[in-house]
Amino acid sequence: MKTLKAYLRFLAAAFAVNVKSVVEYRANFLAQTFGMMLNNAAFAVFWKVLLDRTGGLGGYGFADVMFVWAIVSTSFGLAHVVFGNVRGLSEIIREGDLDAYLLQPKDVWLNVLASRTEPSAWGDFAYGFVVLAFLPGISPERVALFCILALAAAAVFTACFALMESLAFFMGDSTALSGALTEFLLSFSLYPETVFDPGMRWIFYTIVPSGFIAFVPLAAFRSLDWRLVPIAIGAAAAYVALSRAVFNAGLRRYESGNKIGTKV
Amino acid sequence: MPVIEVDRLSKTFRSRVKPRGFVAGIRAVAKPETRIVDAVRAVSFSVEEAEAVAFLGPNGAGKSTTIKMLTGILSPSSGSARVLGLDPSKRGGRERNALARSIGAVFGQKSQLWFHLPPADSFRLLGAVYEIDRKALAARSGELVERFGMAELMDVPVRRLSLGQRIRCEIAASLLHSPRVLFLDEPTIGLDVVVKREIRLLLEELVKRDRVTIFLTSHDIGDIEKICKRAIIIHHGEVVVDESMKDLKHRALAKKYVGVKYAHPVDIDLPGLSPVKRTEDAARFEVDTRRHRLPELIAALAARGELLDLTVEDEPLENIIAEIFGSRSAAEASAVTAAARDARVEEEDAPVAGTDADGRGEP
Repeated sequence: MKTLKAYLRFLAAAFAVNVKSVVEYRANFLAQTFGMMLNNAAFAVFWKVLLDRTGGLGGYGFADVMFVWAIVSTSFGLAHVVFGNVRGLSEIIREGDLDAYLLQPKDVWLNVLASRTEPSAWGDFAYGFVVLAFLPGISPERVALFCILALAAAAVFTACFALMESLAFFMGDSTALSGALTEFLLSFSLYPETVFDPGMRWIFYTIVPSGFIAFVPLAAFRSLDWRLVPIAIGAAAAYVALSRAVFNAGLRRYESGNKIGTKV
Repeated sequence: MPVIEVDRLSKTFRSRVKPRGFVAGIRAVAKPETRIVDAVRAVSFSVEEAEAVAFLGPNGAGKSTTIKMLTGILSPSSGSARVLGLDPSKRGGRERNALARSIGAVFGQKSQLWFHLPPADSFRLLGAVYEIDRKALAARSGELVERFGMAELMDVPVRRLSLGQRIRCEIAASLLHSPRVLFLDEPTIGLDVVVKREIRLLLEELVKRDRVTIFLTSHDIGDIEKICKRAIIIHHGEVVVDESMKDLKHRALAKKYVGVKYAHPVDIDLPGLSPVKRTEDAARFEVDTRRHRLPELIAALAARGELLDLTVEDEPLENIIAEIFGSRSAAEASAVTAAARDARVEEEDAPVAGTDADGRGEP
């Protein structure tokens, strides 16, 4: 309990420092946030035009597509808002910049991920809630369910990206793999599960876990089914455990560096 | 009981050999060639509480690698180290956290402060990292701010601080959790003389007042002389000297530098001793005290004309250390030469005129 409290205080302090750091350049922060929201909104227009003509796609109506966009956007944003180093981990490892984190009495994986926030991700994070507000039949219970599912999906995003980036310990550079996973995760998550061949759907619950990011949350949200929540949380916990294990195994191979560096 | 105990600590790195040419490059994709680099070779020493030790060596000697193994950043390839009775190579769990809470580290080239934020914000975060109670953190910050003269710096973004101001804040940040051992890797790199003196005084005070053990690497002889009472010199990953600064300086007693300045131009030449520097009315001599008696030399210089000034100095520590590095490199080079020559004699069963440091035969 004491450890949990200490970690919550640490995460809150790291978050506060990260927010202050990006707000130092306010205009850039606001431009990135609203720019990302506009970018995401353009896709909503595209889907509206498409579904008005086709009437639906793979069992998805416009509200379903918008929910998927909301949960993917908010959880992707949350992962990068709180754990902004999640996409820079490979470079940090390659450049030998883990030293400062290895000197501190905190879990290295969590510490390094939480020591930065990604300004553009704030736009993604907020966009999901904007979309949610316009969904038909929205209620406080559905908002609560959305928040819990988004937390679990954010943990899956964080774990998957961190895992791919941690492969830098073994490969030297894993940014290409991480980039490919990002494309796969986002592309597969934003389309209905049923448009894909049934033989390849196992991929969405293993290597490219779009199932836990979008499909399970959609099923829960559609029928307000809280029984699916433990599945989403359990999957998130499993991916986080795997990601940490790979990182910690790689840490033994870490080879520091002498680059002059600062924390920004 | 020693605070730091190091026993036959070694670190090897495997590095990929860059292939030369296109074909070799293609071949290296399938079968990369690697070589082993011995960064630290079976280093052993111990450091007592409140001792200030200088860990010296030329670039690439293995200083930073050793410090990184002692602080838990790197895992040793073999041998062992214990800091405050804890094993720094333990990567997870309580032992690593206990060690991290008891040691501090300042790497002159790497900052632990947030670049765009004032030090006060970084201090608050470090308070959370080290789980320092908010009241205790405020009291400790206040104490360090006063001691390091940082009151006006605490609310200025780090990017706007001068290098000297930043290093002062870095050292203060590393002391927030009251560590018992402080590792410093080139803490005064790039600082001007005034700031260097300030930092040295602060570090001296840490040892004397707070009984903090200091383990310092620096290329700055001033740092070493002012702060440390003992020097460990490492070269090519091996400890070549481990002695007190007093003993190290004792090596200099055989050589003195004598400087004279006269009121008028004089003939300064002395029989058997030529000046290393001279003008019409001044000169500087390097005196081997085993060959020349100092009182007689001074008397002879005084007899040359009206003296305005006369100075006698020991050999600078910098020269002594440079000589140790130089003699070690020369000894290694001659060992390589001898080994190469022996090998060739055995191989060819014929006399060899000589070989250079690379083992190539002379014509």
